[in-house]
Amino acid sequence: MNPSNLADPAFWSRLQFAFTLTYHYLFPQLTMGLAWFLVYWKWRALRTGDEKYNQAVRFWAKIFGLNFAVGVVTGIPMEFQFGTNWADFTRYAGGVIGQTLAMEGMFAFFLESAFVGALIWGEKRLGPRYHFLAAVGVALGSWLSGYFILVTNAFMQHPVGFQIEANGSLGIASLRTYLLNPWAWVQFLHNQMAALVTGSFVVTAVGAFYTLRRRHPIQARRYLRGGTLTALIASVLVAFPTGDQQAKMVGRHQPVTLAAMEGRFVGGPVAGVAVVGQPNIAARRLENSIEVPGALSFLAYGTFQSYVHGLEEYPEDAWPDNIELLYYSFHVMITLGTIFILLMAYAGFQNWRGQLESSTMLLWVLMLAFPFPYIANTLGWMTAELGRQPWLVYGLFHTRDGYSKVVSNGDTIFTLIGFAGLYFVLGLLFLFLVGREIAHGPDEEVVASRGEESLV
Amino acid sequence: MIATWYGIVSLMLIVYVALDGRNFGAGMLHWFVARTPEERRQVVAAIGPLWSWHEVWLVGFGGTLVAVFPRLMASAFAGYYLALFLILWCLILRGISLEVGGHINDRLWQGFWDFVFVFSNFLLAIFFGAAAGNLVRGVPLDAQGNFSMAFFTDFNVRGYVGLLDWYTVSVALFSAVILAAHGATYLTLKTEGPVHDRSTMWGKYLWAAVAPLFLAISVESWVVRPDLPGHAIHDPFCWLGLLVAIVSTIMLISGLSTHREVRAFLGSNGLLVGLLATGAGAIFPVMLYSTLAPENSLTAYAVAANPRALHIASIWWPMSFVLATTYFVFISLRYAGKVRLKRDTQGFY
Repeated sequence: MNPSNLADPAFWSRLQFAFTLTYHYLFPQLTMGLAWFLVYWKWRALRTGDEKYNQAVRFWAKIFGLNFAVGVVTGIPMEFQFGTNWADFTRYAGGVIGQTLAMEGMFAFFLESAFVGALIWGEKRLGPRYHFLAAVGVALGSWLSGYFILVTNAFMQHPVGFQIEANGSLGIASLRTYLLNPWAWVQFLHNQMAALVTGSFVVTAVGAFYTLRRRHPIQARRYLRGGTLTALIASVLVAFPTGDQQAKMVGRHQPVTLAAMEGRFVGGPVAGVAVVGQPNIAARRLENSIEVPGALSFLAYGTFQSYVHGLEEYPEDAWPDNIELLYYSFHVMITLGTIFILLMAYAGFQNWRGQLESSTMLLWVLMLAFPFPYIANTLGWMTAELGRQPWLVYGLFHTRDGYSKVVSNGDTIFTLIGFAGLYFVLGLLFLFLVGREIAHGPDEEVVASRGEESLV
Repeated sequence: MIATWYGIVSLMLIVYVALDGRNFGAGMLHWFVARTPEERRQVVAAIGPLWSWHEVWLVGFGGTLVAVFPRLMASAFAGYYLALFLILWCLILRGISLEVGGHINDRLWQGFWDFVFVFSNFLLAIFFGAAAGNLVRGVPLDAQGNFSMAFFTDFNVRGYVGLLDWYTVSVALFSAVILAAHGATYLTLKTEGPVHDRSTMWGKYLWAAVAPLFLAISVESWVVRPDLPGHAIHDPFCWLGLLVAIVSTIMLISGLSTHREVRAFLGSNGLLVGLLATGAGAIFPVMLYSTLAPENSLTAYAVAANPRALHIASIWWPMSFVLATTYFVFISLRYAGKVRLKRDTQGFY
């Protein structure tokens, strides 16, 4: 497939799926990260009776609720697009991936959505203990849904547990093998840690914002301390062991992808990781590159001497179809991940010295840093999905074979435009309302004075 | 095995319609039964905390459909392309209007989201009705099991049909009326004061309108698919569905006339479930009927996943269903009784 060919129906279906999925995933990553903060605060409130924790939960539950709502409504089109835009893929692999798509709905979404309304509005209806359980239910549900989706994706990256049927399509052979796909576990842990990075950066940013404005001091301190500590732990775990294992997995099962991610055209030992450099596909070289020698050999295969394959060892039609985008996605993600660790390590150090709340420069950086985990998460998924190309199911089924042949470009472009418009408005609305809630803040005084009459 | 799975997938869709149908109905009537901002909050709070739980049945249905009947999902969803995206966009607007409407206590803000809420719910009732009509009437499936359909062609029910024709439009209108009646019955159960009284009145008129419309739809269905009644007579599930529908109708009528609101609402749910189950039984084993040539129709047997997939799913699916039901019972008990704005406020943070 030639992606520059704008008459290619596969291109438009890919673009629509990529757009709607990238947009959708901005929301669940915060849900999955923030959910455990709510569980923790709710648990602390239950154990200590400290009303400040309940205030934190009330405040964040509003942001969580907005985020969750956008996540739900943008998520439903994702499942439908398997049928609408990727009918031939569904015909081919639905017998396998349908299992986890159905399990996600049945096990995860029912759990999550049964309790989310109760978590956000049901504090009085449920009472403290059940309200805590609602938080746990939502958190578990959101992670479970992440797991089922990552099993589905892992099957596309590294198919296991299937058999080929008489009509040529795939059928499930072993549910256990399919669910315990090693790729799924590594990717799941990597992804969940990354979601926790997003959640903790957002909590930190709000804490920094209030500290700088000298508002809500008690709440701000909790967000800032809890946020930076969680962010440090999660940022480290994203890189090691999960990110490291993920790279090794790619090196083992998708060596051509690893070569493309690093822009390596010629194979060899002592392969380096480029710190800077731009791939030039036509000239088959990485330009202006500065490399850390041996780093890639070590990271992917465990020794500095290990042989790393180059793209030229593979026929061109086996190369990922947009190497440049893949290369930049991977590299910017790695760079951001490194910066996250350094930033949060410094914040942790300042916290240990008792100077976290007085370091104005640091607070500014922490406040403004929250968009970057979103970018890094998105780039991580771009690396996974662009790296999988040209396959839809790795080694078995080409992307160009998977789209719906009966859907015209006119239809796909129409719906893509519709999504672009609708999601733009949705984004403005979301930012406006969340901004409003944050500006308003956890309203300690009003709640305390109005008591039972207050509108929480 | 395949027949059982056909039943399960139908059940999930039917439960979705019964659950979200009350929201569509309440949403359509939102403007008419609730006039002041406070009254409108009552309607929203009656739906509020559970709308995403209701919507999840649609997701569960979609997922189960891929797992069990992947080739049906492929043919049907690609063929219904534009209609499905319109439904999805309305679902987005509906969910968002519910969630954000309560964030700001302002006339314009609320007026706008009330409009979006009413409008999207109305369209959803219409679209789902048209979809049901399409399932009965059939679609222009070719020999490869593919179809692609315009919104409308010549408004006839045979050959190269469109999404809308005289039959599907009348099913869509019927769907809007019966779901509005269902929603009114739900609001009667959940609210007090003026909203309750207006909902009772609307419920009475709407249910009265359902009866003649139902007769008309039955006759039309018989004209469109003369083969169906003969098939339905021999299907025990159709009889069961019909029995449920009749018992529910009696419950509904007695509930409405004696102001027993729980009974009326149960009857309303049962009637929807019974009617849809009868329909699902009547078209079985065909899941997608071809208006071009009956032999092109996709039967459940032709589109099912391999026996192993069905076997695996029949192990985990009942567990998940029991779990889902448990959450539902738990949450429903917590939210039983009338909406009280002080406790159930949804908004004005």
